[in-house]
Amino acid sequence: MDEGAAPAGKRLVPYSAGRLARTFFVAGSQSVGGGPTTLYLMRLYLVERFRWVTAREFMEDWAFSRVSPGIHLVANAGLIGRRLDGLRGVAVATTSLVIPASIIAALITAGYALVRDQPLVRAALAGIGPVTLGLTLGMNLILVQAVVRRGRRAGVDWLAFALAALAGLVFPSASVAIILAGFVAGALFLGHELPRGDPEDGG
Amino acid sequence: MNPLELFVILLRASLLSIGGQSALPVLRVDLVASGILTDQQVVESLAIGRLAPGPSGLYIISLGYFALGWLGAALALLASVLPPLSLVAAAAFLRRRMVSRWAAGAVRGLALVTSGMVLSTTSTLAAPLLDGGGAVWQFALLGLGAFVVAQGRRHPAWVITAGALAGLALAR
Repeated sequence: MDEGAAPAGKRLVPYSAGRLARTFFVAGSQSVGGGPTTLYLMRLYLVERFRWVTAREFMEDWAFSRVSPGIHLVANAGLIGRRLDGLRGVAVATTSLVIPASIIAALITAGYALVRDQPLVRAALAGIGPVTLGLTLGMNLILVQAVVRRGRRAGVDWLAFALAALAGLVFPSASVAIILAGFVAGALFLGHELPRGDPEDGG
Repeated sequence: MNPLELFVILLRASLLSIGGQSALPVLRVDLVASGILTDQQVVESLAIGRLAPGPSGLYIISLGYFALGWLGAALALLASVLPPLSLVAAAAFLRRRMVSRWAAGAVRGLALVTSGMVLSTTSTLAAPLLDGGGAVWQFALLGLGAFVVAQGRRHPAWVITAGALAGLALAR
C-alpha cells in the first residue's frame, strides 16, 4: 500500500482486492449516464462507505487524472488502485471498471447491428441522432468552461477554442497537426494558471 | 480491414485526446475518410456510448465493433486503456512536473483545441442528419440534448428515449 492511502485504522470496511474489484465492477456496470455517474459511485464506496481513501486523496487523484490522454476515469481508477494496493490494485481497479462496461457496450452494438435496417429503428434513430449530438455538444461546452481561465485571459482561451473549431471545419484531415499545434502553442502562451476541472465531465 | 491498422488508428486518437470525447475528431477523420465507417455509424456509436454504463468515452468500443466485430471491440478496449495506464505508471514522475507553467499551458492548449475540433466534428456529423423535411424538430432535439447536459438534472437515457419516440412519431 502507498503511504498516501487512508490509515488502515480509520477504515470502516477492511480492504481486500475482491472488494475493490466489486466496487469498480459496480461503478462501471451500473453507472448508466456516463462518467459523472461512474465518478459518483466510485466516490460513494471508496470515500463514504469504506473510507479507504480520504475525500482529499480522491480529489487529488481525480484532478491528476484530468491530464491523462484517453479516458480520464481509467486513469482515475488506476491511481486509486495504485494508492490502495500497488500494481495489483491498478490491475484490479481498471479491469473491473472497463471490461464489464465494454462487454455491455459491445453487446448493445451487436444487438443494434442486427436490427438497424428495420424501418422502426431507422425512424427512432432520426430522433436519437440529433439528441446524441446535442449531448455531445453540451458535454463539450462543460469541458471548455472547466479549462478556460478567468478574467482577461478568458478571451485568449475562447479565441483558441474558436480558431481550433474553424481549423477543424476548413482542414478536417489535418486534425493531428492542429492538435499538436495546440499543444505547443499552449505550452508557450497559455501557462499562466493551472487547469481547473469540473466533475461533471466524466471522460 | 487489417487489425493492426485499426489498433494504430484507435490508439493514436486516444493518445491525442484529453478525455474520451475529445478523441472524436481524429477518430472520425481516420475511420470515415478512409471508408472504414460512415458518419452514421459514428453517430450510432455515440448514442450507444451514452446508453451503455461506464465512462462516456467507451463509444470507442462500438466504433471498434462496427469496424471489425468482436476483435475490433477488443482492440478498441486495449487502445483506450493503454494511454491512461501510461499516466498511472509515470504518476510519481509527472506529479512533480505538472505544476510547471509550460505543462499546465500545454494541457490547456490541448484541451481547448480538441474541444474546438469536437465542435467542428459534431457540426459536420449533424449536417446530413438535419437535411430534409424534418429539420426543424431535429434541430429542436439537438438543442434539447445540449440543454439537458448543461443543466445536469436529467439522465441522458431519458433524453435519448424522448428522441427515439419523437423519431418514431415524426420520421415515419
